[in-house]
Amino acid sequence: MKTAFSALSRFVDRRQAFVYPAPAVIALFLIVIIPIGYNLYLSSAKWTIGLGQPRFIGIGNFIDLLSDERVLNGVKVMVYFSGLSLSLEVALGLLIALYLNREFKGSEIVQAIYIFPFAATPVAVALIWRVMLNPEIGVMNYLLKSVGLPGSLWVSSPQTVIPALVLVDVWKWTPMITLIVLAGLKSLPHEPYEAAQIDGANALQIFWYITLPLIRPVLIAALMLRSLDNLKEFDMIYTITQGGPGIASETLYLYSYTVGFSFFKAGYGSALMVVVFLMVLVFNVVMNRMRLSAKNT
Amino acid sequence: MKRRSVIVVLVALLCAGMVSTTAFAAVDWKQLRGTEIRFLMNKHPFTTFIEPRVPEFEKLTGIKVILEAFPEDQYRHKRTVELNAGGKIDGYMIMPGQDDLHYWKAGWLQPMDAYIADPKLTEADWDIKDFFASFIKASSVEGKQIGIVINAETSLLSYRKDLFTKLKVKVPQTMKELEETAKFFHGKEIDGKKMVGITLRGKKAAATSQWVGFLYSFGGSWTTAQGNSNFGSPQSIAAFKFYGDLLRNYGPEGGTMLHWAESTSIFMEGKAAMIYDANVFKALYENPKESKVVGKVGYATIPAGPAGRLPHVSNWSLSISKTSTPERQKAAWLFIQWATNKSNCLAALLAGVPAGRASAWNSKEFKSKDDHPDWTANTMKSFEIGQPQWNPPVINVPEIRDITGQVIVDAIEGKDVAASAKKAAELMDKKMER
Repeated sequence: MKTAFSALSRFVDRRQAFVYPAPAVIALFLIVIIPIGYNLYLSSAKWTIGLGQPRFIGIGNFIDLLSDERVLNGVKVMVYFSGLSLSLEVALGLLIALYLNREFKGSEIVQAIYIFPFAATPVAVALIWRVMLNPEIGVMNYLLKSVGLPGSLWVSSPQTVIPALVLVDVWKWTPMITLIVLAGLKSLPHEPYEAAQIDGANALQIFWYITLPLIRPVLIAALMLRSLDNLKEFDMIYTITQGGPGIASETLYLYSYTVGFSFFKAGYGSALMVVVFLMVLVFNVVMNRMRLSAKNT
Repeated sequence: MKRRSVIVVLVALLCAGMVSTTAFAAVDWKQLRGTEIRFLMNKHPFTTFIEPRVPEFEKLTGIKVILEAFPEDQYRHKRTVELNAGGKIDGYMIMPGQDDLHYWKAGWLQPMDAYIADPKLTEADWDIKDFFASFIKASSVEGKQIGIVINAETSLLSYRKDLFTKLKVKVPQTMKELEETAKFFHGKEIDGKKMVGITLRGKKAAATSQWVGFLYSFGGSWTTAQGNSNFGSPQSIAAFKFYGDLLRNYGPEGGTMLHWAESTSIFMEGKAAMIYDANVFKALYENPKESKVVGKVGYATIPAGPAGRLPHVSNWSLSISKTSTPERQKAAWLFIQWATNKSNCLAALLAGVPAGRASAWNSKEFKSKDDHPDWTANTMKSFEIGQPQWNPPVINVPEIRDITGQVIVDAIEGKDVAASAKKAAELMDKKMER
């Protein structure tokens, strides 16, 4: 017994590099690698859940995908939604962080209230927005009309649906960017600021030539974190519009969900998922390059 | 004289005894005691109604029943995934109009005809003819009974009785009158509120289940006799156009995003003169906690189009899983039979779950408690004239409904309906699976 134990302990000692990470590696393998592998396999198969077995069709799904107008629409919606919401969130998040990054009375309370949207449950918040944005019975139009402005169709018109969804996304996620940037601002060195002040630089110059270059790696990291969620934004759009009106707010991610879990076409849905995966991957590789080069300069 | 009456009494007693023994002998309810069956259920008023009564069935039969209920969206996924994985399911709730062909082709639906015909398994008193014929047909595939209706639905035109009386407006009987009535009310200021003429569902796939009554009433159909899409026909195009124009011109703003929740909310806020949606939403309109129009609503059948008055019927049914064992399937049948017997259907109806049995609707118990005889009369009329095919007759119902919904959205947005319908017809021909 004792020898068996010491043999085991010697075995562990010699292979620490393999043994200690093993549980994490196994868990990762089970919940990440296998599903991705299975998804890749399904993307080359034709299969409606419940009807027969997956049938291998090679790149057939990807050929179908090229002539599917909802795929192009999905990419366009994704670029429009993510482009607008990410840039607004980063810009606003930075401005608000700069504003909050100073001593004033009650700053802690203001910050606590400010992160509230970010802490709330996405689906619950989205359901409330869905009612608020209704042009007939929603409170948004009531507010607009009560100050004499014309009402908007918000998410009920193909022209305004994306800006309206961006509004909700910005309301919810800007605080997250602010928090990250604020942490970055607090860790900046004081010396360059003192030197600039002695040289007589104004506030704008200090921001442009000192703060922005110093904070850039943090900004890009915040953008990457946010973009991971934003590019696969699902719960909010699904709850508020389900991709409507028509397909005006149907991102590629939403479309692949509809194909997979509403039409039960697991093969084609998986192929769409692969495209989303590649888009997110490419975006993040580019962002990572930018972050590294920002750090090195 | 005395002796004769004694004999009469004796004979009568003997007959009564024979009748009751045969009635009890016909189905041995204990024949499968000890069996355990599992039903997957939607969290639906019917489930709420039947769950507390299950011990009564367990006592009667000695069969143990496990009911597992899930919210609807999650339920549909779970049911498909579990049946696909071959889990131990003996019965489940299904909307035949939505899923029957898919489930039939997948081999998940056990036909019930043999059980119904077997006097050892089915009481004569259960009487399939007592169910409305439209629902028996709606719950069958290729002539096989695959489900028994537990929740019978149709759609009604609900209108503001108080305003119609006050302004001396007649209830529309034709589609033309429907449009005129909607126009009359649209934009009128009533009690400080600007009214809309009518509210309807306009949200893509969700709209098709209400629009279908217009499709039939205009003489259109999902498919031609040859099985191709019939959306290119002038009748179908007229139905798309009428529905879209009605909602755009005389409906609430943002028509393309109206699901039933939005549409009924607008009506319950007192902002719409009419609404066409599921008859069961009476429970919402007449609920004083949620609605501002309680007691002010009248109910009518769908107005007649060029092809007549043709609403749809839809239903939830209980089905038996084909993946189960013969023993457990029989036990599942006993459960379904019991759950849909005359007294349970009546009790369900009294509890607000619209049963599929005529006897329940015609009973004195129900009629004496009925606060809305116009709702009852028009619901029953719609059950009689209802079209059982409320969804496209294909396996991939959600996909075809999605394609159909796009034409409805285009019609509401005032685009070229004929072009959109023809495009949808082509896509439908390519995508339909049977």
